[in-house]
Amino acid sequence: MKIIKSLLASASLALVASISQAATSGNTLATVDPEADRSAMQSYFQKRFPQVALSDYVNGIYALDAPSREQWQDIEEFPPYEFDIEAGEALFNKTFANGKSYADCFANGGIGIRQNFPRWDASQGKVVTLELAINQCRKANGEEALGWKKGKIAQISAYMAFTSRDNVFDVQIPNDKAKAAYLDGKQSFYARRGQLNMSCANCHIAGAYIKIRADLPGPTLGHVTHFPVFRSKWGELGTLQRRYGGCQKNVRGVPQKTQGEKFRNLEFFQTYMSNGLVVNGPGARK
Amino acid sequence: MKKTISLVAALMMVSGVVAAHPFNEAFNEQRAMYGKGHSFTWNGQTYITDHPEEIAAAVVANAANATALLAAAKDQYTQVLAVDFGWTLTKNLLKSAGKALETGEFRKSMDLSAQAQYHSRMGIAQYHQSQAEWIMAVPE
Repeated sequence: MKIIKSLLASASLALVASISQAATSGNTLATVDPEADRSAMQSYFQKRFPQVALSDYVNGIYALDAPSREQWQDIEEFPPYEFDIEAGEALFNKTFANGKSYADCFANGGIGIRQNFPRWDASQGKVVTLELAINQCRKANGEEALGWKKGKIAQISAYMAFTSRDNVFDVQIPNDKAKAAYLDGKQSFYARRGQLNMSCANCHIAGAYIKIRADLPGPTLGHVTHFPVFRSKWGELGTLQRRYGGCQKNVRGVPQKTQGEKFRNLEFFQTYMSNGLVVNGPGARK
Repeated sequence: MKKTISLVAALMMVSGVVAAHPFNEAFNEQRAMYGKGHSFTWNGQTYITDHPEEIAAAVVANAANATALLAAAKDQYTQVLAVDFGWTLTKNLLKSAGKALETGEFRKSMDLSAQAQYHSRMGIAQYHQSQAEWIMAVPE
């Protein structure tokens, strides 16, 4: 076992340089082309799994693995997140102490807007995720911020996603600052980290639908569309960035800060990759 | 008798070539197969499979040395956290090293500090490598 661990830690470091894919994709602000990246990502999965319709990637691993899909469909008959949507709706509609509500903070009263997040906020000069916007709304109205990973914020986010179902993701990159954030997220996605020396891409591009112990990692394409998710392992609802932290721990890396710049940029990149797919959150996952 | 050359720390620390260098590949393979303290021959010379931190810890086990090693390991950990590439086990290794130092288990403390410092050094190397090579993994 010790040998296996050592091999994972050191030999995999040694193999990084031998990865022969790449590298016409932009890695500088001048050369990065988000649309080309998105096209390449979608093309990669379509070539690898030609039997899977692009639109089905919103279902994650269940688009690729029939037995898992069957079990998941059984779960979806009585969705475990159903009560969370109801709780989220109640929280969303509850007025703040100043008489205002979430609806006052968002376009279209916060209904049917999930597909526009994360978005580049020019006035703040940063990527704003839906959860960040929820907490910014609270603070602006004199309320305390909610915890980032689960509970009320996940429920509100779930309700907002639910009202956006079937809306098409349309994340915009309006200027060079936004493009820089996208590039930073792209780099994070492909950068190996942790003692196991693995990147997001290792599991969710090359490793998609390849067993890691007893689990089948899902494709990154469509990953974000079904968050927040009720994960059986958690026994509750959780946000996308909760999952990011869990992934980083899984590879034995110290997780980056939830809703910090790195994770927000990562979410920006990852969501852009799923532009054109529909919102189907909240979802249920193992 | 062939000259035994300790693993040169500088060689391991050159960012971007940590893994790609043939010597490092040979070293990693030997280390994985045989653990520390093993001799192997590469390009006609004999090396041992010890990490620089283990070599630094192979001194008399006493309070002064254990304290110095722990301080160096903590310093390295601060550096790896600064680049956001820390590994999860390192914090507990440092904690255990500190406890061992307090209870006078100097050898144990020094070994744990060496391990923690190695983790941090590799995390920093990983950071530099990731900066340089992440683009290699992007599908065309």
